[in-house]
Formats: sequence, structure tokens, C-alpha cells
Amino acid sequence: MRYRVTHTTTYRYQQAVGLSYNEVRMQPRPCPNQQLLSSQLKITPLPCDYRTRTDFFGNQVAWFSIREPHREFVVTASSEVQIFPQPVQLDFSHGMSWELVREALWNDRSEPLLEARQFALDSPFVSADAELAGYAQASFTPGKALIEAIHDLMQRIHRDFTFDPEFTNLATPLTTVLQHRRGVCQDFAHLAIGCIRSQGLAARYVSGYIETLPPPGKKKLVGADASHAWFSVYLPDLGWMDFDPTNNQLPGDRHIIVAWGRDYSDVTPLKGVIFGGQNHELKVAVEVENLGV
Amino acid sequence: MKTLSTPEAFAPGYRLDKGIHDEMLDETGRVRPHWAHLMQALQQLGPREVGQRHQEALKLLRENGVTYNVYGDPDGINRPWQLDPIPLLLSGDEWFDIEAGLLQRAELLNLILADLYGPRQLIKKNLLPLELIYNHGGFLRVCDQVRLPGQHQLVLCAADLARGPDKKMWVLGDRTQAPSGAGYALENRLAMSRVLPSLFRDTHVHRLARFFQSLRAGLNAIAPGDADTPRVVVLTPGPLNETFFEHAYLASYLGYPLVQGDDLTIRDGYVWLKSLVGLQRVDVILRRVDDNYCDPLELREDSRLGVPGLLEVVRRGNVAIANPLGSGVLENPGIMPFLPGIAKYFLGQTLKLNSIATWWCGQARELNYVLANLERLVIKPIYRKPGEHSVFGHQLSRVQLADWRARIKARPALYVGQEYESFSTVPAMVSGGYEPRQTLLRCFMVARADGYTLMPGGLSRSAPQYGNMMITNQTGGISKDTWVVATEPQHPAIPSKRSGGGLTGHGNALPSRAADNIFWVGRNAERAEGGVRLLRATIKKLFSNPDRDSLDYQLSLETLLRCVTSMTGTYPGFFAEDNEGLLQAPEAELLAIVVDESRAGSLANTVNRMTQSGYAVRDLWSSDTWRVIDEIEEQVSEARRLGKTGLWSMQEQMDQLITTLSAFSGLVMESMTRGNGWLFLDIGRRLERGLQLVSVLRTAFAMPQSEATETRLIESLLDTSDNLICYRQHYRSNLELASFLELLLMDPNNPRSLAYQIARLQEHVGKLPREPSTRRISAEERLLLEASCILNIANIEDLLSVSEAGIREALDQQLSKIYALLAALSDTLTANYFRHGDAPQSLS
Repeated sequence: MRYRVTHTTTYRYQQAVGLSYNEVRMQPRPCPNQQLLSSQLKITPLPCDYRTRTDFFGNQVAWFSIREPHREFVVTASSEVQIFPQPVQLDFSHGMSWELVREALWNDRSEPLLEARQFALDSPFVSADAELAGYAQASFTPGKALIEAIHDLMQRIHRDFTFDPEFTNLATPLTTVLQHRRGVCQDFAHLAIGCIRSQGLAARYVSGYIETLPPPGKKKLVGADASHAWFSVYLPDLGWMDFDPTNNQLPGDRHIIVAWGRDYSDVTPLKGVIFGGQNHELKVAVEVENLGV
Repeated sequence: MKTLSTPEAFAPGYRLDKGIHDEMLDETGRVRPHWAHLMQALQQLGPREVGQRHQEALKLLRENGVTYNVYGDPDGINRPWQLDPIPLLLSGDEWFDIEAGLLQRAELLNLILADLYGPRQLIKKNLLPLELIYNHGGFLRVCDQVRLPGQHQLVLCAADLARGPDKKMWVLGDRTQAPSGAGYALENRLAMSRVLPSLFRDTHVHRLARFFQSLRAGLNAIAPGDADTPRVVVLTPGPLNETFFEHAYLASYLGYPLVQGDDLTIRDGYVWLKSLVGLQRVDVILRRVDDNYCDPLELREDSRLGVPGLLEVVRRGNVAIANPLGSGVLENPGIMPFLPGIAKYFLGQTLKLNSIATWWCGQARELNYVLANLERLVIKPIYRKPGEHSVFGHQLSRVQLADWRARIKARPALYVGQEYESFSTVPAMVSGGYEPRQTLLRCFMVARADGYTLMPGGLSRSAPQYGNMMITNQTGGISKDTWVVATEPQHPAIPSKRSGGGLTGHGNALPSRAADNIFWVGRNAERAEGGVRLLRATIKKLFSNPDRDSLDYQLSLETLLRCVTSMTGTYPGFFAEDNEGLLQAPEAELLAIVVDESRAGSLANTVNRMTQSGYAVRDLWSSDTWRVIDEIEEQVSEARRLGKTGLWSMQEQMDQLITTLSAFSGLVMESMTRGNGWLFLDIGRRLERGLQLVSVLRTAFAMPQSEATETRLIESLLDTSDNLICYRQHYRSNLELASFLELLLMDPNNPRSLAYQIARLQEHVGKLPREPSTRRISAEERLLLEASCILNIANIEDLLSVSEAGIREALDQQLSKIYALLAALSDTLTANYFRHGDAPQSLS
């Protein structure tokens, strides 16, 4: 499936901003089942200094600075990607037990496992603790195949938690999410990652987009989509496999990956330090257009 | 061979505990050969003389402003540096081994740093566990694959050493971010060599100055390729940092500008210093800011100490930072048990100097050992957050031990257990005698293009009490000089360039913030001096007037009291409504204006601001000037102490304060280079003097009073402005208002007149750096021209005329206009020269 994604972020400032430094992670990264066909970043006002690089996790980063005084700052990332569906669905009861995977993760020194191991450690937004372990326990029964345990965990999160954009923000700690059983895709991804790490396993955070379908009979609204987030788990026999707890599904060909890291802090789409501006207003619009096969 | 005396002769009661190694005495209680000369000399001097020399050294350190800030202690800011007069002595032979061990260690740490931010072979080959590094807050993923030009990634490093009961030197920890202490070591050395010169010379002590030459060479070596004479700056978190004195000291000693984060800006891929004459490119940053705080864009976004965008400039290779961002990863004590394996891998060598036994709890066997032996180990987190200290197992209760076991078990990879050793003792001077104290030694290394160099000596610190092993400056450790005793006499190196008086400065590269601070030193010094003069005159009048019942006296005193309020800006004060009681019994309010530090405008508050601004540009003052600033502060503290006994006792203190404040202005006038720094200082001073004069004259004379009352007022004010004698010489007549105003407003030759201040300001402002293209007069010049015109066309008769409303309207109006112009001048200078732009904020 081919998609065109347009992600527009607009800041309006109360007073002029004379100088800003920014970092953007909005360009879909290359990965096994995704091909980047074209991508461009439009920034107004025009930056006086612009560089791109690949970060520690292999994500594409654009660094720039704006020196022109401005009251409005707009970043529009437009990309076209081709998504190949993930490989065949498997029989979840087969595959390595989660204990065996954990064993391998901590003892096998092969490069992919060593690479995966860093995602088993605590990260700025996700500290595995006893509460998370307590919630995870029901899914990680002895001898269960890892993939089945994760699938179960994803289903439970979907069932137990209410999607509520009013309840949380970036600063809401996981314990609050767990206590009140409410949150958004970011929270659910972080929650799942915390649960998996509490079992000594590795999970990473994936940021991207999902194609949303309009209600039957209605036309899709432009800009109605949003950034999305889910998580990914390393399976020694299959590699990294994605799970979307918000939609209770294994991403197929409707998820577009932008970046991954230990948690949200590694993949923040837009960061900046500005001089001036006072208060600001933020508007984000995402549009995912299906261009057919 | 000389016969060595027993310790009884010079150190009666110097205890020696079994099982603890003493640096001075051997097991049989005899003085070790390399200590013999020092101890004999100290014996000859006698404890009283040594005590006196000690006091001299402390005085010297104090006068040089050597301080250390203790966090969380209200009296901890600028705590005087403590120095014990007995140095730690190390023989040349032993030093030879220590040196070999430390240089090898520096080389090794350098290779580890390059690997961790490069290929990470050590992790792939299992020589360092991934969890040990990736769990450490100092491993900065954004610094991945960033390299300094040249061979050395680790430019500076320090190691803490101590001798265990087995007589071997052990490394207790490494400092690899922004190691502090080298500057203190140098100050200790200067103080010691001043108070014990012959002893110091005869002991053939290795010199330190060469180390700082190496530091300079090392910093030049990492400069980006195209810089001919690289501009190096010292980046400090600011005056509240615990070792700010040292930042300023090193900047001044090495001749580099001392800057804070907002003095720098990123433009076109380079780092620039915001100086008075515009942006100047920076090639090398010697940083004393922790790496996490250096760039709010890519590192901690709540940091106000860094420079947004800095990391990207580093990445492009356009600026070099020593030490590089990310080097804090090496301060992980969990690395120590892996060093022998890494030494073998990288160098094919065994470690020459061992680390203290350390168990990283991220491994099952080590974890079990630590849990089982917790009560006799030291617990350390692998990543030390500011204010966190090591925990000593033997000091914990059973409940606390259980608590710590649970904490370690929950996150084993975050902790190490370390052997708790009884370090060796060194004699320390304690209440007139010598006592053994556990001592640590911090050694400093710097990379030059041709390899690492070790400072021959270092900073020794001993415990405040016997048996105490927790030796940090934050918890009261006392420093010592460290003498490496050579067999040959040592040649003196080039002396420190920091001598003479005045402000050294960096020519045009004076950072705008520094100019701002200097301006406020000038203003507050003058505000303090003017304030204390008026207060002294007022108190004198209050206490010493024989005819206190006369109405003239009473009215003139009341006016004077109002002048105190208006000049110090401590409203409502004596202007308060229903102030009858206050005017009848003004002592408490006057006392508050002198000593109440929390009140804006009070003397204590003003002096406080002055020293704070002065301290922020600590690197720019000569030691003489600093000594005077220090004395001013001391006298105000003394006045605050005396304050409890009432206003009367304050008078002598005020006389002294006036003398010291005058000494400060004299020193600045006589010995400061007439650069931009001096210009801003004197602008601040003249501006403040003008403002004070205008507000006092308005308060005193806008409302006409009886001639007798005004005569008394004139007398007090002439006394205040040091102009009484001048007036008598000029006019030889009775005190009368017309000639008084002539003298204080219009006389161009009276250095206390308003005309004089405005003329000097006009001269100064004309010399300020400006954009070359502008031909028109500057905003500052325009304001002063206007003030000068008002003053020039005013005539005394008009000023003295009383309107129908019963006030001297012309005087009141012209003075208030001039006041507004001078206030506008201050704002304009601030906007044009001191503004650093808005504070940055992070987008969310």
C-alpha cells in the first residue's frame, strides 16, 4: 500500500521570536517492510542553518536554526511511503517461551540480541517497577510463548484502559495511567513497554501514523488524523514485531513508521528552544492519504 | 645520615593506631626519611610559630578570595578555603610509580571514551557490560560518533588516591567531566610558599606552574583546524556553583574570558562570544558545566546554564570542548573492576595502579557478595547525582541496611559496593598540636599533543575528625598542599601573571554580562558610599546635638531623615503617613536601613549586591582590589553584628566603612586599566552619584523652610558630601542656600557636583564602542546633552524662587527632569550594551 503523509505543526507566538533552534524527527525511517519514496520538509520562516543526520537509533533528524523574527512558525513534513504487509500471521502458541527469550537476551552476545538488550533497560519515561510487573504478571504465565504473552498483554490493555485525550499529557507518570486506566496511544505504548521490561524483556517505542477510516458513508476529513504510537518486541526467531495496544491489532499495512527509540523522549517529532515569543498556541494537523496499491 | 628524632620531641601525643599506615612515621615510630627535613624545621619553628604561619596562610587565602560554596548552608556561600599547614609529602621514588600508574590510567580512560562513543568494541567483546554503560546517566546517546580532533578525547582528568593498610596507593575514583581542584592546589601552593619560603625551597619540592602551561598547550591542541590563535573561554555555571572561585581563578590565571551560557550564542555553525564590540568566534571551551546541562535543545531542556545548539557545532567540528560532552560516562565506579581486562585488551599491560576493590551489582555473584557484606562496604550509585554521597554500610542501622538491600535488589545494575578501607594518616595541625588525620589525594592530568602530563603534587584533603573516611569539601574536609620531594633542587617556573592592581580584562572581548556586572559594582559602591555618608551625618546629628529641643533642630533632623529615605529608596520610611512617632524615635528605622539585608536599599543589601556583582566577574579584579571588596563585606557583617547593641555603637563602624569604600574607589581610579571595564564602572559610579545628589536636594529644599533650619541642613549635607571645607574655602561666609546649590549643582570643578558627574558621563559615553556606521549622536549622548542643557541654563535665583503654592517649583521641576534623564540613561545603557536578549524557552 502507498501513502502520502502530511504532518503540519504550527506555532503562533504572542510576541515575535527572534531566534530559534530546532530538531525535527518527522521523516519516515527506512525499515524492512517500509520504503520511503519521497520526503520533504517545508519550514517557514526559512532556516538560516539546516543539517540532517541519523541519530543513535537510526532515525532521521533535521537540525535547523531560524534567525528571522517571526510570529508564526510552520513545519510541514510530506512523505510518500510504500508499505509491505508484515509477514504471515503465526500460530501464537508456538515459538520460544518468554523465559527462554529472556535467558537468551541476557546471555547471548550476538549482535541483534545485544542491540535488543538496550531496550530492556529503564529509560527516561519508562521505569519498570513492581506495579507494572504486577499488571504484567497475568500475561506472563510460566512457559507461555513470548508472542502469545505479548498478544495477551496488548488485548488486556485495550480492554482495561479507556482512550481519553483529556486525561493525560506528556508529563503524566505511568503510575497515574495505571491507576486510573486512562490515557492515549503514547501512554498505552509506554505502559506495555514498562510491563514487558518488568519481565526482563526488551521492548521499544515506535512513533508514526495510522490510516484512519471515516465512519461508513462519510467522507474523510482533511487533517483529522494524528500522530500515532505503538511498541515493538524482539523475537529471536522473527526479529522485531510491532503491536498496537490502542487499536488492539498487529500493524499490517496501515501503520507508517517514522522513528523508534526507548520511549517518547528519543523520538519527539519537534523540539525547539526559542528566544522571545512569550506564550504560544500550537496546532498539529496530520493527513494520511491512501494512494492505493 | 642524620639521626631522626622521635615524634615525642615535636609532636607529643601524636597517636599511631595499629593497622593504620601513617605517612610520617614508620611502624617503629620513627620519622620516614623524606619527612625528616620538614619535621625538623617545624620543630625548630615551634608550634606557636607554625600556628602563626598557618594563620598568615589562611589570611592570604582569604584576602585572595579563595572560597568554596557549600550547598544548602545559609552561611555556606563563599566559605573561606581551609588549609592545613602540614603538607602531604611523597618521596620522588614513590611519585615515579604513582606517575606511571596515573598516566597509564589516563591513557586507558581516553581509549575507553573513544570506544564508547565510537565502535563500542568493549561492549561487543564483553569487556564492559552493556547495562553498566547504557544505564549510566552520563552516557549521552546524542554524543555518539562525535570526536575531538587529535589523539586525545579525554583532555583533562583527575583521580582520587589514598593509601590502604597494605601501604599501597589505591585509586578511589576518577573525575573525567570537569575535574575541580587544580586551581585550589595552585592557591594552596602559593600560600604555603609565601609563609614557609625557606622550608619550601630547601625541601626541593616539584613546581606546579608547568602543569598549567601544559593545560594551555593541551587546549590549543584541540582547537579546530583553521584557528591560528584559538580563542579559548572558560564556561562556568555562575557564582553560585561550589567551585566558582576556581573557575574565575583559572580563567584569570590562564588569561581566558570567564563566560556563562548566555554569554555565548550559536550562529552559522559556530560558537560566538557576545562581547561589547559584537560577536567574537570561540574555538575552544574549557567547561565547568556538567555535560547534561550544556545544550537545552539536545540535552536537559530545563537547563539555563548551557548554549542551545552547542552540540551541533561540536558535531560539525567547529568548536572543541574540554572535556568533551559525554565524558561523564567514565565517572562510573562500576567500570573500575573491568579496568584490568580492558588494559590487557587495549594496551597489553597489567594495571600499574589498582582501583579500590569494587563490586558491580549488575552481576549475580557480585550482587550476592555486596548484599551479604553490606554492613562493611561503601554503597555508591553508578551515576552520582549532585548532592548524593556515598553510603557507609557500617553507619547504617539494621532497618536502613534492609532498606538498602531492597533498593539494590530492585535495580542492581545501578549500584556498586566498594571496600571500606582505613586510609593512611598525615599529621594535621589541630588546636596548636599535631594529630593524625585520614587523607585523600587528588591528582590532575592533562593531555598535550604528545601525551599526558601529571601535575607533580595535587590537592590533598584530610578529614575533619580522626577516623572519618568521608572526605569531601561539602562536608568540611580540610585541604593540604602536596609536596613531591625531589632529590635535586627545583627551578622556579615563570611566575603567575596575576599581580599588580586594577582590572585585567580581555580588551575588547569583555562579555556584555561582565560589563553589566561591572556597571552595577560601580553603582552599588557609590550607592553604599553615599548612603553611609548621609546615615553617618544623620546619626551624628541625632546623638550629638546640644539644643535638641529647638524647632530648627527638630525640623532639620526631620528633613534629613526624609533625605535618608529618598536617597536609599527605602520608602515609605520617614515619608510614611502618621509618621510622627517614627520621626520622634527614628533609631529603629535607621538601624534597619543600615543592617536589614532583606530590605532593598539598605546598606547591607546594597553592599551585598555590590559584592555579588563583583563576585560574578571575580576573574577581572586584582588581588588588591578583591581584598578591599572582601573587607567591605566583612565590615558590613560586623555592623550587622553590632546592630544588636543599637545605633550608637555603629558610628565607628561607619567611619571605617567610608574609608574602605573610598579605598575601593581610589584603587579603581589609580590602578585600573582604562578599558571598557573601567568605563562602565565609572559610568555606574557617576550615574549613581548624580541620582543620589538630585534626590537629596529635592527632598531637602523643594519645600522652603526657615533660614535657620536650612542652614542646619546645609551644614549636615556639606558634611555628607565631604564638601564642608571646600565650601568654607570658597565662600568664607555663612552657610547660605544659593552658594550651596552653586557648589553642588553647577561647579564644574567640584568632583561631587552634578555638573561634574554629567561632564564625566558625557566623556565616558563618547568612548563606548558603537556601530561604526552611525554618524548621529547616540541615545546616551542625547540624554546627557539634555541634562547638561537644563543644568547650564538654570540660574540660582529662579531655582530659589518660591511659587504661589509655597514650593520652589523651578528647583523641583528641573531636578526631577534631570533625575528622569539619568534614570533613562541607565535603561538605555542596559538595553544597548547589557541585554542578552530574552531568556530561552523550550517549545513543547
